[in-house]
Amino acid sequence: MVRRSEPDKGKVEDLTKEFIAESQEGLERMELCLTELERRPDDGELVAEIFRAVHTMKGTTGFLGFGRLEKLAHAGEGLLGDLRDGKLAVTTELIGGLLRLIDGLRAILQSIETVGTEGERFEEDDRELIALLAGMKLGKLVANGVSASQNRVVGQPAVASQAATAASSSIHNKTLRIDVEVLNRVMNLVGDLVLTRNQILRCSPGAENFPMLARRLDSVTADLRESVMQARMQPVGHLFRKFPRMVRDLAITCGRQVRIEFEGQETGLDKSLLEAIRDPLTHAVRNAVDHGIEPPEERVKAGKPAQGVVRMRAFQQSGYVVIDVIDDGAGISTGSVLAKAMERGLLTPEQAASMGQREALQLIFVAGFSTAKQVTSVSGRGMGMDVVRTNVEKVGGSVELESHVGLGTTVRMRIPLTLAIVPALVVQSGGESFALPQNSLVELAYVTQHEAKQMVERMGTTVLYRLREGLLPLVWLDRLLGLEQSANAKKHDFYIAVVESEGRRFGLVVDDLKAPEEIVVKPLSAELREIGVFTGATVLGNGTLALILDVAATGARAGVRQATEAVTALGAGRIEAMTAPIETDIAMVIYEIEKHGLAKGGNGEQMAIPLSAVERIECVPLSEIEYARGRAVLQYRGELIPLQDEGEVLRELSAKGCSATATVLICLLPEGQGARRVGMVVRRVLDVSAGRLLAADATVCEQQLAMVNDRVKTVHREFAPWVDGPPAAVLREVA
Amino acid sequence: MTGATEMRTAADGTVSICSLRVGTGLFGIDTRQIREVLKTAPPHRVPLAPAYIAGVVPYRGEVLTTVSFRALLGLNLWNGANCVLVFDDEQNEERFGLIVDGVSGLIALQPSALEANPSGLDARSMALFDGAYKLHPGLMVHLDPQRLRPSRLAESGLFANESGPIGR
Repeated sequence: MVRRSEPDKGKVEDLTKEFIAESQEGLERMELCLTELERRPDDGELVAEIFRAVHTMKGTTGFLGFGRLEKLAHAGEGLLGDLRDGKLAVTTELIGGLLRLIDGLRAILQSIETVGTEGERFEEDDRELIALLAGMKLGKLVANGVSASQNRVVGQPAVASQAATAASSSIHNKTLRIDVEVLNRVMNLVGDLVLTRNQILRCSPGAENFPMLARRLDSVTADLRESVMQARMQPVGHLFRKFPRMVRDLAITCGRQVRIEFEGQETGLDKSLLEAIRDPLTHAVRNAVDHGIEPPEERVKAGKPAQGVVRMRAFQQSGYVVIDVIDDGAGISTGSVLAKAMERGLLTPEQAASMGQREALQLIFVAGFSTAKQVTSVSGRGMGMDVVRTNVEKVGGSVELESHVGLGTTVRMRIPLTLAIVPALVVQSGGESFALPQNSLVELAYVTQHEAKQMVERMGTTVLYRLREGLLPLVWLDRLLGLEQSANAKKHDFYIAVVESEGRRFGLVVDDLKAPEEIVVKPLSAELREIGVFTGATVLGNGTLALILDVAATGARAGVRQATEAVTALGAGRIEAMTAPIETDIAMVIYEIEKHGLAKGGNGEQMAIPLSAVERIECVPLSEIEYARGRAVLQYRGELIPLQDEGEVLRELSAKGCSATATVLICLLPEGQGARRVGMVVRRVLDVSAGRLLAADATVCEQQLAMVNDRVKTVHREFAPWVDGPPAAVLREVA
Repeated sequence: MTGATEMRTAADGTVSICSLRVGTGLFGIDTRQIREVLKTAPPHRVPLAPAYIAGVVPYRGEVLTTVSFRALLGLNLWNGANCVLVFDDEQNEERFGLIVDGVSGLIALQPSALEANPSGLDARSMALFDGAYKLHPGLMVHLDPQRLRPSRLAESGLFANESGPIGR
């Protein structure tokens, strides 16, 4: 091969970089068009687009002196020309050949990017590929060379697409195309910001127009933030682009017939997050094709069309982007999951017997778990769903799984809109403030000094807390971080933040809880990141700094084991404890609505709601409660929910002025009532503890009663049917 | 002020040195290497960090890691007001702050007057100092910010033994 003289560095380097980024984009587009073409062979527009892409590439390569690329592109262009002119018909072989061409081009691009030259090692491959393409052009598909190559096409795709992934994650991902409109808007806002600054610098302290300037600064900042965020947003469709090819190759390798469908490709997501979920999404799609969709003959037997469907759906929902990977395959049978778990020694038969469907499905996320009957080259090496979960959790998202035997499986990923701003709870320990990301927070408990004596116990070196039915390992944050402990630390009441991340669940003991805040994450320098316990720092509302805790790393540092190990060891007792007494005891939220001593001359009546029905306990400022036709309603996470105010707490509070806040239990009503949310306005929440239901006795009263801590509580009537455990469908919804 | 200094530098070949006080010692850093001098609240300390890391301070929308020069010299921490010198490291894009007791002023000195570190110096001082200027009241130890980078300090391993949980 003729190697042109080495071009001058510098300018040419920039050109090359641009060329690589553009070409990779072009190849991605080509790939998409090709897979599409296979489905709609008569679409001339598609062929024309592919032709244009190859043609452009050929032109630029010639100019930059990349001979190998040029030759390959030329061969492809000739073939595509014939296809465009209708001299050739679209066949699987043709598409396969063209896809191989793309792989070839991509490999060379990668070599240019990493080494700077096209490399010569694969020239043999080039020649073979060119011969293959030329053969196709002539319509001679009989030569043995072709059939041999054909086998390679089928055998290679997994490798090829892996190379493709690696290639596309370098230069290509460092550049971002932004609408000039957006950039102009940012520039205008920056101009505005400068003007406002000038005015503020010039105005004397206590000047009259200062509040106005402050307001303007506020609005400019907000607009600027929004514009910059918008600039970083990329449609998830960019990520979806590579899947048609992957699914096609996988389907051929696994002997399946699969069609891929997209929905909501225009949904925007932060560029860095898009990169972060690339791998988890790939895993999920691979699983869907390999394990989800059945072989065609089995599908036909089951009365389904031979061709399976993998649907990827993206949409925005209350501050999150939800991405579903839905397949209409065999579904996951709970039985085989449990059998596998027992085989692996993760569960005892008794535990398995008492597990619900939802619980059992969660086992799939445990490391080293795979129900695949056979290990294939594609997936099923015992890693998969746990990787998906870990990666998604790393960016503050979550993964859920829903499956119905015979109907299919849905993997749902929830990804926060941006990495930079996360809701967090500020806690205090050893005199310092720390931010605890909300997504790892499960619940909070207040432990008085008196309770601490009873509920906190030691087992070996581990300190455990009796939280309702289970034992929770405790980690003292100040001790772990070597902070100064206040001299009488032991005598104090303290808070437990129950946290869970990467399968580690533990109670973080802190001195005090501060307000929840939306924090802006600032990265730490490398030396501080190395400590491993902090993911970043943030500036709090009062101007001071706080470090952001990495919950999983904190747990690991304190020696809290992951649930996988815990299930077999320490947690074994826990699962039994959690399931066995459930027949009689259920966790209840105890609250009161009546004023103390009102009318009855004694204690206010205490009410109870099953904890499983309560989604959240919110403190709502009165100003946020609105009235529609005399009924109190609350806008809660984009949903309008009616408020029930049985104790007339709201009226009483409104007398105090609108700065007062009301405590609202956000509850999910049982399914019989359409599984809707309702807010219960309560005077105060007293406790969460396990209680036992009393047999209904119409002579006492018509209410269902419960015995909690040896005292009688009234179970809220709408939730009484739940006492037998909420219906499975509702449970899923809660999760 | 900076403008005037630069003009003088150009005129007679001297460099402008910013003199600093840490404990009883006098130190100097080339002003061209200092990005900014801040007078801020004490840095927010980072638990489990090496002792020479004083903590973090907010700086231009970022969080800046600061090195305590007192800790590097093995002096007691002091609670009085202090200054943070902000340095940029162009190659590694690593920005960091150095905490000193105070900044005294600017002195114009001939770079040729800088004496190299004496051979008898202990390893730690050798790693921190970059020679000295002979001034009339005493020596002014010259510092090279590049030697005080947190990553460099961590690599050297000379200061690691002082690391450990704060407050123990």
